Amino acid sequence: MEKVLKRAINTKKHLNEVYLEVRKEDFRDACIYLYRNGESILRVMFAVDEREIDGMFRIYAVFSSPGKDEFTILYITLKEEELSFPTITNNIPAAHWYEREIRDMFGLIPEGHPDLRRLLFHDAFPANSHPLRKDWNITEDDLREWGEGTTVKEPYHFMEVEGEGIYEIPVGPVHAGIIEPGHFRFSAVGETIFFLEPRLFYTHKGTEKHFEQIGFHEGVQLAERVSGTSSFSHSSAYCMAVERMAGIEITENAKAVRTLLIELERLYNHIGDIGNICAGTGLAVGYAKGATIKERLMQLNERLTGSRYLRGINVIGGVRRDIFLQRDDILSSIDTVTKEYKEFMKLLLGTVSHVERLEDTGKLSKDIARKLGATGITARASGISDDIRKAHPHLVYDRLDFEIHTMSKGDVLARMMVRAEEAECSISLISSLLEKEYKGELVVDLKVIPAFSSALGYTETPRGSVFYWVMSDKDGKPLRVKLRSPSFCNWPVVPFAVHGNIVPDFPLCNKSFNLSYSGCDM
Amino acid sequence: MIKEILKNITGRKRVIPFPEGFNISPEEAAKVISLQEMIDSIFSRSLRIRQVDAGSCNACEWECTALTNPVYDIQRFGIDFVASPRHADVLLVTGPVSRQMELALKKTYIATPEPRLVIACGDCTVDGGIYKGSYAVTNGVANVIPVDCYIPGCPPTPVQIIMGLHSLIDKMVRANTK
Repeated sequence: MEKVLKRAINTKKHLNEVYLEVRKEDFRDACIYLYRNGESILRVMFAVDEREIDGMFRIYAVFSSPGKDEFTILYITLKEEELSFPTITNNIPAAHWYEREIRDMFGLIPEGHPDLRRLLFHDAFPANSHPLRKDWNITEDDLREWGEGTTVKEPYHFMEVEGEGIYEIPVGPVHAGIIEPGHFRFSAVGETIFFLEPRLFYTHKGTEKHFEQIGFHEGVQLAERVSGTSSFSHSSAYCMAVERMAGIEITENAKAVRTLLIELERLYNHIGDIGNICAGTGLAVGYAKGATIKERLMQLNERLTGSRYLRGINVIGGVRRDIFLQRDDILSSIDTVTKEYKEFMKLLLGTVSHVERLEDTGKLSKDIARKLGATGITARASGISDDIRKAHPHLVYDRLDFEIHTMSKGDVLARMMVRAEEAECSISLISSLLEKEYKGELVVDLKVIPAFSSALGYTETPRGSVFYWVMSDKDGKPLRVKLRSPSFCNWPVVPFAVHGNIVPDFPLCNKSFNLSYSGCDM
Repeated sequence: MIKEILKNITGRKRVIPFPEGFNISPEEAAKVISLQEMIDSIFSRSLRIRQVDAGSCNACEWECTALTNPVYDIQRFGIDFVASPRHADVLLVTGPVSRQMELALKKTYIATPEPRLVIACGDCTVDGGIYKGSYAVTNGVANVIPVDCYIPGCPPTPVQIIMGLHSLIDKMVRANTK
């Protein structure tokens, strides 16, 4: 840390965020130093078009140090005419998608990056067009041709595997089940998957640019619609970022409501996911039971908030409803759910044919998970003890008693068991939250948002950590909203986990990760 | 056993009401059950839906999945979700239609045999919803393929989706009797 500090040409501190400006040529060394010696985790990396301030682009890399509630944010400044920066992917593989994203969105080239193909945009999107630049625009014709998808403007070459007996299976974007769109290209030897290349971003909706256009307050609704089943955690992280940027502190009561709903969201997701894994092994009764318990929780959500996906509760500065008024309803529902859930798990773990399918399937090693920056269930099932609720305590998590649940094997069974333990943990967190009384107004008024200020917001979604980084422009309107959903970190590890498995087990592996396409594609 | 099967094939199908302990009002349940007769007569007891995600946030998909859980159990009405558009009577489209899904949606529509119906499910299928005006969406399903029915809601609840199907079939019955 000291070594990096010495090299910094500019430092500032805002809450638990330490911003260090380094020279372009020192950037790689500083990042590697934090990554190797400090064992920091790369949380998010992004660029910002700050040309309206001083004619510069900036690239930020956010690291969090283990055992310390602090973010080290390294950044470099790029002049308008120098359109490249040194890549850190060769040393910190977790950066590879972030850098490709920066290239697509800003046209800043990560020099030395091993894979400079497009990530976000498909073939028909115009070449040298970068939507997050402030002066970007696109013609109607280009838009139409992009939608038609027939004119190839920058071709994408899938990686090819050659050899005797290897054949390709292309799947998607429209799949057989009721799931989101994505294209998968398997290179298989017989039934065994040798290599998988996912081609995602079919649901790219220009979310980050849209955040800039609609304003901070309306952004809450957009954050709720980034990834359907993590609506509440996304909007909580977004609100937290804006609140920290504006320098307001929400009340104890609002914090407790948010914590409670985040845990309710985790609970319905985890139980639903465990049920879904049964759909992957063909255990119909397990799937039906899981879906019934999930439905019970969804209906509780609806009674509490008016939305089955907990939408419309978060606002900047607090929450709209005091959920604690419905204490009895929550308690009795959670009681029923706990009983049903225990029976459900007994059934699953007692079904040998089910458990055998899960064991040793879709194994992800700790090494790969760490190198590629996996987060959430995916990381914890491979033995990485990382949970934002513990690493950077927020809301009322610092006063709650809970543990990080990890497994070491990294297979489908481990991911299911981590979910099972976390679901039980969520139940106990909900009960202990309901025991206490909380004071304070529901909403704190938002004062003026200061010009050119920025802050991070984060929380642990059911899938892993989510990060929002917001920055205001001279009028207090959004200059940049960077969102990093857990699925963006976890998608790159899927090909490593399915290598060596049979093609029919792919849906099972995929279900055990349960990644969001919409959250990843933005 | 054989007796039961024969009874099932020849006899009038009885619809099991919604299970207890879940919040579904009796009026809704009655309306949904009245759907049965229409599906029986128009679609010969079999209405097949192909769901296409055209850039939705995934909430609508989960509500469609919830329709097949033991609480709503849509299969008992003879309605089911199928794996291929070739097997479908109805396309149920969700999402504001992202530009990168436009082609896939059109191809799926073409692959669905006629006569086909298109249901647009969710607020963003109407005009893009919260995503309206973004460069990467086409602001509504109707801009890409013809739509027969909209089911609003963000996301519509499973009961609202069944109600949407109800009104679509109802519309067809009335159009036929005119």
